Amino acid sequence: MSRVEVKSEVTGTVWKIEMKVGDSVAEGDEIMILESMKMEIPAMAPEAGKIVEITVEESVPVEEGQVLAVIEA
Amino acid sequence: MSFEDLMADFAAREKKALAMGGTEKLARRREQGLLNARERIDYLIDENSFLEEGMFGTSSVVPEDRDKTPSDGKVTGFAKVEGRPIAVASNDFTVKGASSSLTNMKKIGHVKRVATERGMPIVFMGESSGARMPDNMGSKGMGALLGNDPTQYVRMRETPWASAVLGPCYGSSAWYTCLSDFTVMRKGAVMAVASPQLASMAIGETVDPQELGGWELHAEITGLIDTFAETDEEALDLVRRFLSYMPSHNQETPPTAPVPAGSDEASETVIDILPESRKRVYDVRKILKVILDQDSFFELKARFGRVAVTGLARLDGRVVGVVANNPLVKGGALDAHACEKITRFLVMCDSFNIPLLMFVDTPGFIIGKEGERQRAAAKIMNFMTALQMFSMPKLSVIMRKTYGQAYLNMGGGRNSDEVLAWPTAEVSFMDPAFATRVVLWGRNEEDEPETFRKVREEMEKDGSVWDMASSFSVQHVIRPQETRRYLARLLEFHEDRRHGGIGRHALSNWPTGY
Repeated sequence: MSRVEVKSEVTGTVWKIEMKVGDSVAEGDEIMILESMKMEIPAMAPEAGKIVEITVEESVPVEEGQVLAVIEA
Repeated sequence: MSFEDLMADFAAREKKALAMGGTEKLARRREQGLLNARERIDYLIDENSFLEEGMFGTSSVVPEDRDKTPSDGKVTGFAKVEGRPIAVASNDFTVKGASSSLTNMKKIGHVKRVATERGMPIVFMGESSGARMPDNMGSKGMGALLGNDPTQYVRMRETPWASAVLGPCYGSSAWYTCLSDFTVMRKGAVMAVASPQLASMAIGETVDPQELGGWELHAEITGLIDTFAETDEEALDLVRRFLSYMPSHNQETPPTAPVPAGSDEASETVIDILPESRKRVYDVRKILKVILDQDSFFELKARFGRVAVTGLARLDGRVVGVVANNPLVKGGALDAHACEKITRFLVMCDSFNIPLLMFVDTPGFIIGKEGERQRAAAKIMNFMTALQMFSMPKLSVIMRKTYGQAYLNMGGGRNSDEVLAWPTAEVSFMDPAFATRVVLWGRNEEDEPETFRKVREEMEKDGSVWDMASSFSVQHVIRPQETRRYLARLLEFHEDRRHGGIGRHALSNWPTGY
C-alpha cells in the first residue's frame, strides 16, 4: 500500500468534484474537474487505488502542484 | 605448428572469446533475468545474421590484462534486422565492466565509420562503467587513448542511431545514448555522467542510483529517453520497432508497410471522440489512433512535455511523423519541455525523410514566471526555426483552437504545405475572453456589462473557419471523419518527386540535446 498524491497540473479553480472518499479508481479516472484558461481540465488518478482523502472543495482556487486528493494504491 | 595444432589453437581462442567474463558472472546475470552482451545481439537481429568485427581483440594497453579481456569487453559487428543491414555495439559488462580502452574504442570507431559511410543504422547496447583504469589514467593515458578521434561525437544524422540503456551507463555509453535518435531504457538501469559511487565520493553524501539517473528521471524530467521497458527483451523489441520506421540512411525513404485491415473504418469514429463542448478536453492520442493506420502509432517521450504528443506512425502504409497538442494535459497549452520535444522530433523526421502531420488544438503557449525561467521564448523560436527549415511535406489539421504564436508553431498559415480544418476550428490571436480583458484593462465587467459584451463580440468575429477558408488561409475545410482520406491523398500529391522524396537535411547537425 502506498499513498499517491493527485496533484493539480494547472493553476485555476475547482469546478466540480466527481468522486468521494472511499471510491475506487482506475488509472486515468477523473476525480474532479478544474477550470483553468477557460477550459475544463480533469484531475485524473495517476494510479489505480482507493481515494482516502480529498483536500479541496468546489470553487476554491488551486495552484499548480497543489495536492487535490490522496489515493491509496 | 601443424595445421591440426593451428586449428586446435584457433578453436581454443574462439571458445575463450565467446566465454566472455566467465561462467560464474554469466550465470549471475541469468539469475537476475538479464541477457548478456552476445544474447542481446542475438535477440535483436535476424537469426544467424551476425558478422562479428574484432572477436579476437583484447586489451592492448596493459599486458597482464591481455588474457582477461575477451573481445576487449565490447562486442561489435554487422547484422540484419528484417533483412536490412545494421551495425551493432554491445557492451559486455562481465569483462572489466565493459570499460573503454584502446582496442574496444578502435572497434567501435570502425563499425561507426563503416555504418556511416555505407549507410546502415547503428544500435548501441549501453552497459558500461566508463573509461578503463588504469589504462586511461595519467597524462600518458589521456594522451594515448582519449581525444584521438576528432569526429567521435559528431552527429550529422547520416544514418539512424538507436540506443538501449540496459545497465549502468556512464561515460561514453551515456554520451552515445544522448547522441542517438531513439533511446529506450530498461527499468533498473542507470544513465549518468558518472556512477553513483563516484558522485557520492565527490559530494560526500550517498547518492541513490535511481535518483541520479533512473528511468523515471529520464522519462519525466530530463526527456533524455524516448521510452522504457521492463526487460532487456522488451527494450530490444522497441529498438526493432523504431528501426521499422527508419530508412537505412538519409539518402533513402523510409520503408512502406501494408495497410492494416480496418484502418479506414476506424477513422470514421473521430467525431465520437471529439467532445461537442468546446470547453471539454479529450486525449488526442485516441484521435490519432483512429486516423493513422491501425496499431501504427509509436509514441516517443510520452511522459515528457505531455501537453504535446510526438510519435512515428504510418498513414496508408507510408511512414509519417506526428506532432499533436494534447488538450487532456493543461488544455494543450504548449510549454518549454513540449517545445524541446517537438524540436528534437522535427529534426529527426527531417533528417530521415519523414513527412510531418500536425494535429492542432492549443490555447497557446503557457505564460508566466516558470516558463520564462525555462527560457520559453528561446525554445519557442527553436521549435519555429526547425519547423521553417523542415523540408519534407508538412500537413496540419486544425481540430479546434489555435491562437497567437502557437498558431504559427503548429503549422498555421504557410508554415505547413496544406492546412486542413474541421468545422470546429477557432483561430485568432488569443482567446476572445482574454482579448476582451486586455482591451478593457482596468475596467470592471460588472459596471459596464454592455461594453464588455460588445467588445467580446468584436473579438469573436472572424474566428470561424469559414472566414479562413474564404481568404484561402486554410486550403481544406473537411469533416473530421474524412481526415484520414484527405491526409493520405495530400501526402501522395506532395511527394517530392523531383528529389526522390529526399529532404534537404538542413537540420541534420542540430544538437541532440540543447
